[in-house]
Amino acid sequence: MKHSLLLLLASLTLVFSCRKDKRMEGPSIAEIYSDFKLLEPFKLSKDSVDFKNGETVFFSASFNKIVNWEISISGNSSKAKKIITGQSRVISLSNALWNGSTTRFPLFSAENCTAKLKIEDVTDSFMLPISIKQIKVNQGFLVADFETGLNASWTKLIQSGANMDFKVKTDAFSPQATSYLNMAGTVNWDYLIGLIDFPAKAYNSAVTFPLNANADAVYFNCLIYGVPNTNTSLVLFQFKEDENSDGTFNASNEDEYDYQVTVDWVGWKLISIKYSDIVTLVNGSPSPAKGNALHNPNKLSKISMLHLANPNDGFASTKIDYLIFTEGKTLEP
Amino acid sequence: MTFREIKYKKFLLVALLCSIVNTMNAQQDRKISFVGGARSLMNMNALSVKDSTADTTTVKNKNGGYALMDLGFNIRPNKQTEIMGMFRIRNEYGGFWGSGVTFDVRQLWIKGVVANALRYQLGDLNLKQTPFTLYNHHADQIDSLPGVFKLQNNIVSYERFYMQNNSWRVQGAHVDFGLSFAKWIKEINVNAFITRLNPTDFSSVHDRLMRGLTLQIMQSKNLSLGYNSNTVFDVKGTVSSGRLFSNSVNTFDAKYFKKIGKNKLVVHGEIGNSQQKYTNDSLAPLLKDYFIHANAMLEIDQINLKVTAGYLNVGPDFRSIGSQSKDVNYNAAPVYYNRYTNAQLIRPNTLSDLIGNENIYNRTISSGMMATSAVFNNINPYGLATFNRQGLYLNANYKSKESLEIQAEYMGLSEIRGQGSFALRQFSQTKMYVGLPFHSLFGFKRKISLQLSSKMQNTKRNSEKSIENVSMKMMQTSVGLNFALSPGFEILVGLVHQTNNGSEFIADRNTYSEIVYFHQNVFNLQQQTRAIGLRYNFNPKVYICALYQQNLYQDKTKSIADFNTNQFGVIYSITL
Repeated sequence: MKHSLLLLLASLTLVFSCRKDKRMEGPSIAEIYSDFKLLEPFKLSKDSVDFKNGETVFFSASFNKIVNWEISISGNSSKAKKIITGQSRVISLSNALWNGSTTRFPLFSAENCTAKLKIEDVTDSFMLPISIKQIKVNQGFLVADFETGLNASWTKLIQSGANMDFKVKTDAFSPQATSYLNMAGTVNWDYLIGLIDFPAKAYNSAVTFPLNANADAVYFNCLIYGVPNTNTSLVLFQFKEDENSDGTFNASNEDEYDYQVTVDWVGWKLISIKYSDIVTLVNGSPSPAKGNALHNPNKLSKISMLHLANPNDGFASTKIDYLIFTEGKTLEP
Repeated sequence: MTFREIKYKKFLLVALLCSIVNTMNAQQDRKISFVGGARSLMNMNALSVKDSTADTTTVKNKNGGYALMDLGFNIRPNKQTEIMGMFRIRNEYGGFWGSGVTFDVRQLWIKGVVANALRYQLGDLNLKQTPFTLYNHHADQIDSLPGVFKLQNNIVSYERFYMQNNSWRVQGAHVDFGLSFAKWIKEINVNAFITRLNPTDFSSVHDRLMRGLTLQIMQSKNLSLGYNSNTVFDVKGTVSSGRLFSNSVNTFDAKYFKKIGKNKLVVHGEIGNSQQKYTNDSLAPLLKDYFIHANAMLEIDQINLKVTAGYLNVGPDFRSIGSQSKDVNYNAAPVYYNRYTNAQLIRPNTLSDLIGNENIYNRTISSGMMATSAVFNNINPYGLATFNRQGLYLNANYKSKESLEIQAEYMGLSEIRGQGSFALRQFSQTKMYVGLPFHSLFGFKRKISLQLSSKMQNTKRNSEKSIENVSMKMMQTSVGLNFALSPGFEILVGLVHQTNNGSEFIADRNTYSEIVYFHQNVFNLQQQTRAIGLRYNFNPKVYICALYQQNLYQDKTKSIADFNTNQFGVIYSITL
């Protein structure tokens, strides 16, 4: 029996040994490193697009080999930019669809744009004009976009420091529509420069925000601007849940979840976080929640936004816009 | 409640537990025992960067370290049950009460025997099957690492639960039992387990589990046969998406032992197949393939020589999550000086990271295909389970009565399916090791031993289209010296040098592990790490060692900036 098994093993080894698969895995190297040729020209599926009504536009082109490509669409007046990148032989609906979203702020406006195709290691680039009839509308619950100033139902606390400039501004810095909130000043006795409370009652008659009960499906998003060559700002969001629905948030026995953003970049940046990923912070360190310790976005009654900075640093400045809750995914502005 | 209060409460909880355990220990002798260890590590690091413009951005000197204690309670409430709980308290140097201090549960398991027949273990487990089903190959590790570097490498092994073997640390449940027979079959041993590879995020990632079964039939003391199964699968319904991943491997193995006079012959073979697929994903390929591995080992007793010859054939589409997970994660940040130059580029992983940087090592099995490194291992990055390889290997091992050790190994492999070309790569690997225990050979009273080793890897592809040609060589040499100054005191010296020359096409793979692109990389790289240490052994389980180490990284293609690091450290280690 032993010898039979050994014989079987040896036979199997001989039968299957030295195999050669005549297929090739992956793209042809000879083709990748051959000279570039444009087989089908760079084209758009339409010249103008109405994103508000759900229209999209896609680009197409084909090449003689797989290439790394980048399509950048620039707003001629807004200077907004959308960048689509890929690695393929064909550019088509499947890899070059534009739904009106933005990669670099500000957001697009209804304007003429220029789409430019660049291919790695190819000096030529290809350009096309495209017109936006109406801009994309983002689905979600808007907390603030500051287009009508500061809502009277919001509670404000602005410190009386030096060079205080904590107000809504309407100028070219605005990443979305025309206005944003500027938050700047020197407060050398406290971390707090200013805060705004956004109570649910400011939006509807209910005591809580109209959000999905599933904390894994709710995302909080906003746009924050990092000012170059200035001291580090912290933006702290406090999400306060009214768990017993009595119309009041009680800090001693109800959950507060906190999300602190250290503004260490330059320019506008989209900040997004899943509601279930937000933790309770005490002095910046994670701590147990004081209520039922369950993330209940449907019981969120108030959002506080605080602009903080180290009092020893001096002047701190940042800007914020477009605070919005989205469902199922992060904001795609 | 503040974070400090919580820590205080945790501390009280542990103190209470210790007190209870002490009481139990006093009342019922030998039911409780303590295991664990302590370690303190302090180091000072200096970086120098050789860039075309002086690096004025990176902080060059960094000091750090930590002290930690692992305290494990091994509780035996009855003869059939054993419980282990191990806590870790760790304090970063420079931290203070409430900051820099972490308090974790390092391991927790319960094991026992049901009806004196079925053994079980729940919680943390170390599991291993065969090299093609579930196995930690440690494929990129430096062979015969000099003793001075083993100090750091052993810390990595302890931190990542490698247990100095080829097992993986997982969490789940494991059972095993055996059946004995009077005729035909001596015994049958059954091992089965189920573990969780990654938890669901309740949004897009499913719960991913691994289940395994090993059935070993001992026909006699000379012959054993085995069946091994390992399946990784997503649990349906843990997220709303219907896209489900599965990878299953089934193998049969046989081992035959024969004594020929004073010599021994062991013939071993394993054959099996794998299937990897995604359901409800029209883009996902179905990957199916098989492998064969067979070897014969002859041990010639008269001349203390072991010779092994083996054959390997692993198909291009053979996929095995359990045996193709790597211990080194090349996508992980090295933490120390992870960025350098004025452009703050990511620092490449070096020999010294491979030797002793626990931050680039995985604790457990990866749930997808892991990145490989052409610099450290271009031949068999997933060990024996590397797909798309066939060929032969031969190794010889001589060990004299005086512990003089000589090892030699040759492996010649080839691809089965061309990558980006119809021409196939040819691989060869040669390893040599000599261990010279001078104290045994020449009768010295004090221990003095020298070890020398080298590894050479060669990759070649000759194609009709010259652009597809590949030629890449890696040479790794190491020297280690261990000299006992007096009882307890020893000096450890070590050097590892590596060069990479040539060009190779590095494949980009998509999430389905399909190749989507090739990047041509040209290598002309030199790395060296050298160290000297003075160690005092209080006893075999306690030592203190002062260590000075220099690391050099030089890329002659100038695609990235050269750099050197110097490190002085003190390690104090206690194993309970």
